[in-house]
Amino acid sequence: MEQFEQLLTCAICLDRYRNPKLLPCQHSFCMEPCMDGLVKCPECRAEHRIPYQGVQGFPTNVTLQRFLELHIEITGELPDPTSGQVMERCNVCSEKSYCSVCVHCEKKICSDCKGAHMDILRREIARINNQVRRALHRLQDSLTLVEKNSLSLQQNCTSVSEEIDEIYRRLNKALKDRTEFLRGEIDRYLSTELRNLSTLKENLELEISNIQSNCDLADKHMTEAVEWDDCELMDAKEIFLKTVEFIRNFEYENADYNRRVRFSMSTDPNQLVLHVAGYGELTINMPHQPFVGTGGSGGGIVTSSSSAGLLQPPGPGLMRSKSDHRLASQFRQQEERGGYDRGYGDGSGDPSGTSGRVSPLGSRKFGERYQQNRGGSDRYDQQQSRYGSRSGGGGEFSAEFESPYDNDGNRPRSKYRSRFSRHHGENADSDNDTQGSRSVRFTEGQHQHKERERVLDTEDVARGPLSGITRLYDSPRVMKRLQESEQRGKKKETAQPAQPPQLQVKAPQQVPKRTQRQVSEEDEISKIKRANKSGTAAAPATDTTTPSTPDVGRPVSERVAALKTARDTSSDDRDSSQPSSPTGRIPPPDVSSPARKAPGTEVASSDAESDDGSSVSSLQQTQRKTAGKPGSGSVSRRSSASSDVGSHKKATRSASSDSSTSSESSAASSSVARSSGTAFTPEEQKQKFKSSPAESPAGSGASTPRTRLSSTGSDTPKKPFQSRFLASRQSAATAAVEKSTKEEEEDEEEESESSSESEETDSEDESADETSKKKPEQTTANKSVDKSDIGPLLARSALARDTSEAARKNSRDDSSATGYGRSRYGSGADTSSSNYRPSYGTKDETSASSTGSKYLNRSRGSVDEDNTASSRYGSGSGYTSRFLNKSKSSAGMSPDEEADSGGKKYSPADDSSKYPSGRSRYAALKDRRARLARSRSSHSFGGPDDEEAEDGRTSPTSSMPTTYLASRYGSGSQSSNELARSRSTHALKSRDNSPDRSAAGTEKDGAALSSWARYLKNKYGNKAGNKDGGSSASGASSSPSATTTAARRLSLGLPLRHNSASVESSDDDQKNPGGSPTSPTAAAAAAVDFWLSGFAAAAGSSPRSQYLQKRRQQFKIGSRGSEPGCFTWPRGIAVGPDNSIVVADSSNHRVQVFDANGIFVKEFGSYGNGEGEFDCLAGVAVNRIGQFIIADRYNHRIQVLDPSGRFLRAFGSQGTADGRFNYPWGITTDALGFIYVCDKENHRVQVFQSDGTFVGKFGSSGSKPGQLEHPHYIAVSSTNRVIVSDSNNHRIQIFDVNGRVLTTFGSEGSEEGQFKFPSGIEPYGSDIKPYGSDIKTYNSDIEPYGSDIEPHNGDTKPYGSDIKPCDGDIEPNGGDTKPF
Amino acid sequence: MTALPRRIIKETQRLMQEPVPGISAVPDDSNARYFHVIVTGPEDSPFEGGLFKLELFLPEDYPMSAPKVRFITKIYHPNIDRLGRICLDILKDKWSPALQIRTVLLSIQALLSAPNPDDPLANDVAELWKVNEAEAIRNAKEWTRRYAMDN
Repeated sequence: MEQFEQLLTCAICLDRYRNPKLLPCQHSFCMEPCMDGLVKCPECRAEHRIPYQGVQGFPTNVTLQRFLELHIEITGELPDPTSGQVMERCNVCSEKSYCSVCVHCEKKICSDCKGAHMDILRREIARINNQVRRALHRLQDSLTLVEKNSLSLQQNCTSVSEEIDEIYRRLNKALKDRTEFLRGEIDRYLSTELRNLSTLKENLELEISNIQSNCDLADKHMTEAVEWDDCELMDAKEIFLKTVEFIRNFEYENADYNRRVRFSMSTDPNQLVLHVAGYGELTINMPHQPFVGTGGSGGGIVTSSSSAGLLQPPGPGLMRSKSDHRLASQFRQQEERGGYDRGYGDGSGDPSGTSGRVSPLGSRKFGERYQQNRGGSDRYDQQQSRYGSRSGGGGEFSAEFESPYDNDGNRPRSKYRSRFSRHHGENADSDNDTQGSRSVRFTEGQHQHKERERVLDTEDVARGPLSGITRLYDSPRVMKRLQESEQRGKKKETAQPAQPPQLQVKAPQQVPKRTQRQVSEEDEISKIKRANKSGTAAAPATDTTTPSTPDVGRPVSERVAALKTARDTSSDDRDSSQPSSPTGRIPPPDVSSPARKAPGTEVASSDAESDDGSSVSSLQQTQRKTAGKPGSGSVSRRSSASSDVGSHKKATRSASSDSSTSSESSAASSSVARSSGTAFTPEEQKQKFKSSPAESPAGSGASTPRTRLSSTGSDTPKKPFQSRFLASRQSAATAAVEKSTKEEEEDEEEESESSSESEETDSEDESADETSKKKPEQTTANKSVDKSDIGPLLARSALARDTSEAARKNSRDDSSATGYGRSRYGSGADTSSSNYRPSYGTKDETSASSTGSKYLNRSRGSVDEDNTASSRYGSGSGYTSRFLNKSKSSAGMSPDEEADSGGKKYSPADDSSKYPSGRSRYAALKDRRARLARSRSSHSFGGPDDEEAEDGRTSPTSSMPTTYLASRYGSGSQSSNELARSRSTHALKSRDNSPDRSAAGTEKDGAALSSWARYLKNKYGNKAGNKDGGSSASGASSSPSATTTAARRLSLGLPLRHNSASVESSDDDQKNPGGSPTSPTAAAAAAVDFWLSGFAAAAGSSPRSQYLQKRRQQFKIGSRGSEPGCFTWPRGIAVGPDNSIVVADSSNHRVQVFDANGIFVKEFGSYGNGEGEFDCLAGVAVNRIGQFIIADRYNHRIQVLDPSGRFLRAFGSQGTADGRFNYPWGITTDALGFIYVCDKENHRVQVFQSDGTFVGKFGSSGSKPGQLEHPHYIAVSSTNRVIVSDSNNHRIQIFDVNGRVLTTFGSEGSEEGQFKFPSGIEPYGSDIKPYGSDIKTYNSDIEPYGSDIEPHNGDTKPYGSDIKPCDGDIEPNGGDTKPF
Repeated sequence: MTALPRRIIKETQRLMQEPVPGISAVPDDSNARYFHVIVTGPEDSPFEGGLFKLELFLPEDYPMSAPKVRFITKIYHPNIDRLGRICLDILKDKWSPALQIRTVLLSIQALLSAPNPDDPLANDVAELWKVNEAEAIRNAKEWTRRYAMDN
């Protein structure tokens, strides 16, 4: 058998024959590839004439083939799978073999190469996975932050409500006490008065009777009938007289008893009531937020913001137009990027949507990857996302303007989603659908560069709500693979190693998502509920979505659910669908990580729940359809809604503080408002919905799905429901109607909110109902989505946009005016309020404010943190913080677009760089801002908004709220140009004050600010300028000359910013990144980094401080290249008399001259050995009369050129004699015009007169003092000390002008005071500064100079790094230091 | 670096599983195309008892082109020069893809037992071999003892 097999083995490939060809010599070989290039028989070396048509012209060895077949039969081995295939050349290794298309490289390659590529992919996945893992903590951090925030929010709110209760009690008590007291007083008064009166009455009666009796007696008996003596008569008379007198005099003081008790109040009762009614306000600390809420009583407090609402800033028009072309550009871009979006119809349909969905987090993360692999793609993504958000924002805007609620919903939602959603993944699930599509792009990008079929990323895969990252475990493919591998493992343990690893690798990727999910899911119940929700949401989504888009990634919520739902929709069989869905079900067989398992189970549960939900929803839907009537529908909805609500409530109630729930509630409220709603024509609604999907995506991933649903589903059954919802949204169209409705709604909202949670629940129910009407099962998330949907819809209509924009601006203005620390929140609130106003008029204002106040109140507790908190409230007034951010960001987007359109595109690289990490992003932002500011003075808002937007995005994740705020702030101000100034100050303050900022944050912040300030400056002139200075100072440097710096920066601008050539050219040089101010080397290494502080710092400060100041990079010139302003191995630098900077651009064989600001002035010289030609010149010096003295290194000569660069003379040639050189390097000149040349290979310094006459030399090869080993650079101080970088001795030597050694310092090493191949050197003032590749500053006292010299030590720098000194002090300023 | 062709893998496996007596060829850890070869001096030759180290490298287009083989151990042989280069027809123009590593090494081993001074590479050695074969053989033995036996 063995021999038999041997007979069937081709001698060349040592494999079984494949298509054996028989040579005339009777030897057989495989046709391919063994006979390729065959000349002689490999076995017998017989030469054969190759047939005309090639080796296949040889007859096939049929016998052998029979044997092969026989063998196959006998052994039962599988036939060669490649039989029948034709070999091709592998496009990678160009071996001939059976090729198949590799998705990695998109070429047809052989299996070996494919395996290699797969390995690469696996490795990359592993690597990225590691990155993901490493970065995952950020999400977790933010999760904890969110939790913390929610907690604090709750605490805050409870404390506030307790406070309010307390106040209420107190007021109540005071009122009661007082009332009782007053009542008692009155009673007392009454009784005493009565008593008095009664006694008086008695007395009077007595008197009357007495007098009467007297009278009677007198009448009767005072006659003569009775004998009275005189005394008696006299007395009687007196008595009567007295009586008369008494009667006469007696006067009842009527007045006394006539007076009434009056109840008078110290204050006007009306006012008092007012006061009491408005006895408290809730202030929400959102920076700059103007909102004021009234407490329990209905009395509304007018927020300042409301007033502003009516004003329409000029901006909106611009915005609008921008948005239009923004959209267009987006679309274009999308098309370009087809790869990403491709396959997802939705994405192409609504570019903004896609972009919008991209979760910043996700994008960022992947962004890194992108950068690496794809350069520009990143940028696109970013842009897209930007656009998306922008567009979303636009939509939001419009929505805002028209219906604040809607806007709110949208905004918050979207924001939330993107930023936070992962948290609330469950809720988000419904949204996932849309996001999914978006996310697809990302994932794709991750795995492949181009379009290709996505196997893992299929529609049914669960996706992270924020990032849209698919959960690999859910992918049917993955499951299948895992299962297979498991089975295989069982069967034969030796099963392919490759696949399992692959899967595993993938799994890790997935894991993060998982974790996210897990994290988000706080407890099982909530999860389940969410799952239900999501399921429900998903179900409707599926229903609505057209069949064509099924593939489109439905995000997370379980494609299973989607599938089910789809089935459900088609028929009521959802239940069956569940089990049937293969992907969702199968728990991953081999759970590599525990996390996975949990997710799997979760998924299952969620699926089940979702199924239920879906079924419910489907039922409801069916009901609706059948019913057609809203009423019947409503009932069904209600039930569904209530169930949903219940679940939501739980979720919300749970400490988890699901923003989603809060959002839901808010959404509910908004929905309520809508519900009051004006009736829209179904058509309109439809239109809107349709439009919404496109736009909405940007707003929030969640929103899109719903919108879709709505659009598709809206068809007949939903219309009634929609009408309600839409009413609020369609403010522009049916503004008046809406107004009324809105007002009502608002009132309702207010009441409900103020009253209690129960009301909230009611509202939720209502909202739920409404939502249910639309999509019966959509949970609060759905509601919010609806809102968001609205936004997009509105966005579409230009009017809407305008209004919205105006509203926005107004709101911003208002907020700024109010001077609240205006946070995004504030702005959000403002916008909402403002929105209301415009649409609703004055009356609305109160309502708006009230709504706002509600939200505010709630959110108030958690001021800073509490984007999340605010987000909760957001629904009411648009979720403030995040949402606002988002909205802003979206707004911000427009500027970008504008910029783009304007032709000020950012280089893709920049964009991409921005995103890789929050930090980098920031930096990018900075740059961008600067650019924007600069370029964009014409666009009023664009820049700032954009910036803001970016900030907003970044901020949520990054823990610098202040920055955010500031940026936010800035944006707000920008939006309204007029306000800009005042705001800018605010912004500054806020930034400065913010303690939370991390240092980096501050820096960046500052930088951003500065750029912003610049922008302002451009716009507004001096004042801004001051700020600019300040900001720049804070951000970049605290140098006294900050303003100048800033100015310089301004002037230098970006154009001058090049990467340092050296950095690019050599890694060694790169050690100190050009930007790092602390590393002098970097500067040196860098093409030319000017630490201009040297320039700026005058003699006044102490040398040390001066010196320290020097290490700051002032600016940087050049990048690698040969164009003017670029360098290739700059090796020498000098300062000309007018502070120009002269650089010996060694490998470009030229000298370049820059002015003091680094602006290219001129160049001269070219390669060669003629006059004025150079060959790798090294040192350059400029003497007092401006002549250039150049060490023409490879020509072994010194050339002197006049100030205009014309050749004057040359001296020297190669050799060791006096006046000859061997690779002269450093060169300098002293005050007397002597020229000092480092004759490097001769290990000496030669001194010449300015005309080239040899004067002297010193140094010889060696390491003793006074000896030199490859001296590189030389400098002469103003005290006529000659400082030489004795490079190979790793030291600096100082000579006097006669060549006597004064000092030697430094030794090899990397400690302070040690060097490694120092090269550059330059005296600065009295200090010596050695530069070198690794020189650090020296602090040792070096005697002759007596100043501080700080040792700089760098790491190893390549020998002779060719740059001369660029340290802070490169060249002394104004010649005060430099001896000419 | 493209993956290893199947043939090389097969050959390597076979070399490991069924080593040729007197020959060991072990692929390098870092480069599967590079083999560390040890060939024992054939009996009845001046190289008997010596262990000769060779290096063998399979070029990119192997088996369509011959492997590169070189003696590392110094050897006194008319067809092997001071640098260890081997003058062997199958390593040059007579290469055939039907040949394998083992066949090549066997050929080299055969070359040791049958020097061919008429087609010399080391001219001085060949000259001596032709003029004074005994002397040459002595030298070869001496070299073998000196260079190929101590390790």
